[in-house]
Amino acid sequence: MRNEDVIREIEQFLYREARLLDTRRFHEWLELFTDDVRYWMASRSNRYPKSSKAISILDPDRYIEDDVGREDELAVLDETRQTLAGRVARLDTGMAWAEDPPSRTRHMISNIEVEAGDTEGELRVCSNFIVYRSRAETEEDFYVGARQDVLRRVGGAWKIAQRKLILDQNVLSAKNVSIFF
Amino acid sequence: MATELAGLVDAERGLISRRIFIEPEIYEEELRQVFARCWLFLCHDSQVARPGDFLTTYMGEDPVLVVRDSAGQVHAFLNVCRHRGNRLCRADDGNAASFTCAYHGWTYGNDGQLTGVPYLKDAYHGELQRENWGLVPVAQLDSYKGLLFATFDPEAPPLLDYLGEMAWYLDNFVDRREGGIEIVGTHKWVMPCNWKFPAENFGGDAYHVPWSHLSAVKTAFSTGVTTKPNATGHMVSPGNGHISICVGPNDSGEPPVPEIQAYEEQIRPEVEQRLGPRSRLVNPIVGTVFPNFSLLRATSRTLRVWHPRGPGKTEVWSWVFADKAAPRHVKEAIRLAGVRGFSPSGTFEQDDMDNWQECTQTCRGVVARRMPLNTQMGLGHDRFDPQLGAWASEFRMSESNHRRFYGRWAQLMAATDWGQLPNGAARETRHA
Repeated sequence: MRNEDVIREIEQFLYREARLLDTRRFHEWLELFTDDVRYWMASRSNRYPKSSKAISILDPDRYIEDDVGREDELAVLDETRQTLAGRVARLDTGMAWAEDPPSRTRHMISNIEVEAGDTEGELRVCSNFIVYRSRAETEEDFYVGARQDVLRRVGGAWKIAQRKLILDQNVLSAKNVSIFF
Repeated sequence: MATELAGLVDAERGLISRRIFIEPEIYEEELRQVFARCWLFLCHDSQVARPGDFLTTYMGEDPVLVVRDSAGQVHAFLNVCRHRGNRLCRADDGNAASFTCAYHGWTYGNDGQLTGVPYLKDAYHGELQRENWGLVPVAQLDSYKGLLFATFDPEAPPLLDYLGEMAWYLDNFVDRREGGIEIVGTHKWVMPCNWKFPAENFGGDAYHVPWSHLSAVKTAFSTGVTTKPNATGHMVSPGNGHISICVGPNDSGEPPVPEIQAYEEQIRPEVEQRLGPRSRLVNPIVGTVFPNFSLLRATSRTLRVWHPRGPGKTEVWSWVFADKAAPRHVKEAIRLAGVRGFSPSGTFEQDDMDNWQECTQTCRGVVARRMPLNTQMGLGHDRFDPQLGAWASEFRMSESNHRRFYGRWAQLMAATDWGQLPNGAARETRHA
């Protein structure tokens, strides 16, 4: 398969996934994940770089300038296939009030880059997202960030084996994160 | 204004005016009378553990810089440059010997002293007295078992008197094991509601759990202890507006996570020993230290501050915590329970926002605003329980805590000095 064809196939996979989310076909969406998936979303903090003249650092060994949440830190989402399924099951109870009436979402996926993965059947896929949410009468939220996926070929179809999401906000401006990315 | 405001809360009859959730003039008065006078939670000691460690936060709407100076002493200052009032430190946290304002370059040491003024000799002719223009400190700063509090009011009673008997209820969150707690991580987000709705909810609303949160219980994110028909417990008010939801001593709010359940089972004798005989009467799982600091040990474990951002907006700062002595795998399970239960995406928490938002926003209607809120549940069915050192409701669900919380709010709004305020229950001698 030519590289261009693989890229095209991955793009179509991601666009279809976005359509499943925007049409609330969450059970079909769940089928896109492997059983061992880690689905993780971090937010960002607000720190001076080490070179900043706004402070003089007292203890350089203790100074952290990285503003992306680490994997062992508290995340916005840190899910397994099982807990993702639990979140979908919760929406089916008829009592998941944050989504009742439901959010109206539109997932825009762009800046797609495809690279070879760690094994032959895997690909590393980077992309950006803008997710618009409209809710109730006039509520609006924008969730903007980056995705780093590992896609794995399973039984002739692509599955998401790992998804890291970086949400580019420090204090989240949305009242909740009741949708999927 | 003070006398008029006192009439907005009728704690005796359980009626509360909705004006207090939406009117800008009342909000401004609240910032002065409540937030500029009460002891407010800043952070946990471990967040500024070493010399130079700092973090920025708020007391009410006032920006505050908490910093441990090079000699090891903790300070809290207005995070405001004395020259033009620019925000001095713009980062969430870090480690610094000094801070320099981005506007004209005034520099302050981590002890608050003004150490550097560009062109001091030429432009100020050497006449600016730098010792008079250091950062403005809070009036009082103190800590209780690692919880750092401050007040802008020099006349406020000492922290231990302010907490009163609530101190024991705090122990149930932060002093269950030797070494206390540590912070696992932080969530910050904005909710379009008045800050009092989450504060009262965390301190006294067991009633909403079996309806608002049933979906999370049904899908195994929470054991939903207060949804169980055979659950026991009380709404507990230790005084001074502090409130706590307590379940029975044999009930637990821990999430259905095997690592956490097994850990709790294992440490129970140690915890009981530490907390004393009262822990055989109640198990406090949620609570609010008046006005806006809440603690939770059900489904997740969080400390949180409800920062007011105007009458219709609240910024939530929430920290997941764990016993410092807990093994690594338990801390990891607590971290995940925090993400999945109580966070912006929390399966428990996300269903609260719309309710608090709409309880606030419908106050904008002048007619809807005339309708008083009903906090009459269990009226006349609570009594002072000397063993609990607090007023306790007969039944496990009651709005007795709401009435105490808003009653204290009204007292503070009307009182011009602390001497006019009734004292809470006397502290046990072991806290003296």
